[in-house]
Amino acid sequence: MRCPVCHIDMMVVEYEKIELDHCLKCHGTWFDASELELLLATMGADRAGPALTLTPMTSTVEKGRRCPICRKKMDKATIGDEGKVLIDTCPRGDGLWIDGGELVHIVTELAKKSDGKLDATGIIAFLGSAFAAEGEDSEKS
Amino acid sequence: MWEQIRSNQVKSIILVVLMGVVLLALGYSLGLLFLGSPTAGLVIALVVWAIMNLIAYFQGDSILLSISGARKIGPDDHPRLYNVVEEMKIASGLEKMPDVYIIDDPALNAFATGRDANHASVAITSGLLQKLNRDELQGVIGHEMAHIKNRDVLLMSMLAVLLGTIVILAWYASRILLFSGAARGGSRRSSGGGGGGGQLIILAVAIVLMILAPIFAQLIYFAVSRRREYLADASSALYNRYPEGLASALEKLASSDTRVKAANQATAPMYTVNPLQKKGMAATSLTATHPPVAERIRILRAMGGASYRDYERAYAQMKQKHIVPPTALVGAAPVPLRAASPEEAVTEKVEHARDTSDLMWRLSNYRTIDCPCGARLRLPPNVKQITVSSIKCPHCGRVHAV
Repeated sequence: MRCPVCHIDMMVVEYEKIELDHCLKCHGTWFDASELELLLATMGADRAGPALTLTPMTSTVEKGRRCPICRKKMDKATIGDEGKVLIDTCPRGDGLWIDGGELVHIVTELAKKSDGKLDATGIIAFLGSAFAAEGEDSEKS
Repeated sequence: MWEQIRSNQVKSIILVVLMGVVLLALGYSLGLLFLGSPTAGLVIALVVWAIMNLIAYFQGDSILLSISGARKIGPDDHPRLYNVVEEMKIASGLEKMPDVYIIDDPALNAFATGRDANHASVAITSGLLQKLNRDELQGVIGHEMAHIKNRDVLLMSMLAVLLGTIVILAWYASRILLFSGAARGGSRRSSGGGGGGGQLIILAVAIVLMILAPIFAQLIYFAVSRRREYLADASSALYNRYPEGLASALEKLASSDTRVKAANQATAPMYTVNPLQKKGMAATSLTATHPPVAERIRILRAMGGASYRDYERAYAQMKQKHIVPPTALVGAAPVPLRAASPEEAVTEKVEHARDTSDLMWRLSNYRTIDCPCGARLRLPPNVKQITVSSIKCPHCGRVHAV
């Protein structure tokens, strides 16, 4: 699959049996709908529930992206209770795109909290732990 | 059962001939319009029809498989799928194991193609393989196996190729007519003396034919494949002794949003569920290649047993019509339904998804790096695009040489 930002083939990271497409250049990550479904199934409904609340955003400065599967323009939304993480969602429901910057933000935020995953919602916690090393990288640079 | 195959064959030959007639009519009008002689058009159409039939007979399956981007797999590539195909091969009484193909596509669908029972293939999308449990997969493969067993595959492949030809010819003809028709018409009027009125009528008929030919061809095609779908459902239920498997698979197929990428007008009727149909389209519309899925599910769920008689009864109740040829019903012993397989745990579902995606990555030549931290990295074959000599595991930070 091609990165919607850099248009190069993405690497696939399989973490805890869930596959994520990860761009080596911009560190953006594609969370495919079928993988998301698997993740939510393994987490169980009670933990996954709040993770699915997407709040649509109408005005944002971030550049629009196209879905790597259906090529339709993706919608901006925020994910989680605190509404801090800005992501792109495919209007057809093919999956979610998390920009490289947002991913690093998630990872560093999670790393700061000593209790880690507890108050983050399912998807964010999963991404944070899957890409735990991405945060270190950005702190150094 | 032989009678069912026979009636299927006779009807199909009639339909192939009908398709030929439509093509000839198209050739006649094209010849009249562009070559000035209807005979030339007829001859060309006849030659095209013969060539298309030959190609469809000998190459139809490989053309359709390559259009859909299907890849052949062996028993070790995906044991679960191969195993189910083997089971269904035995249940259907086929002599030769069909080739098994996988289409790398998140959409949910499957189809069968081939010349006859000994040259047949079953293709399934990777999305479907991931989503279905064993009972559902058996239902779908049983349905495709029935298409092979009932000798549907050859005629469906041939019809697909013929329909494609007619659509293409009519499309080009209408474009040529649009862009050069006016100029030609002008020159003819000045050279030919009288009889202009007659020619105008023929011209009008030719244009109407050209517009209608593809529509007619499509209607014939749809009529043919709809009946086959019901019969294949009936056979699948019999092979599995478990109609609920197919019913539940159809439910999943119908509710999925993703459509098959490589499907087009000509290959659409090959699939288990019409891949081009939009959600919310009138279920009873004439152009639906496949019978409305909701109806197929209801018939399958209304079956009291797994025999053809049970399917016939459920169908008759719903539609007040017959579907299974009477000869297939004579002397058929009642077949009891079997119990459902134990429900799959979530971990099993995840395992199935990984089995399938493992295969897809292998087929697309991705390189696999197993990081000691437990994460697995897969690199695309053309990673050179960004010139990396090492890959850092995004989970633990270990650096792997490439």
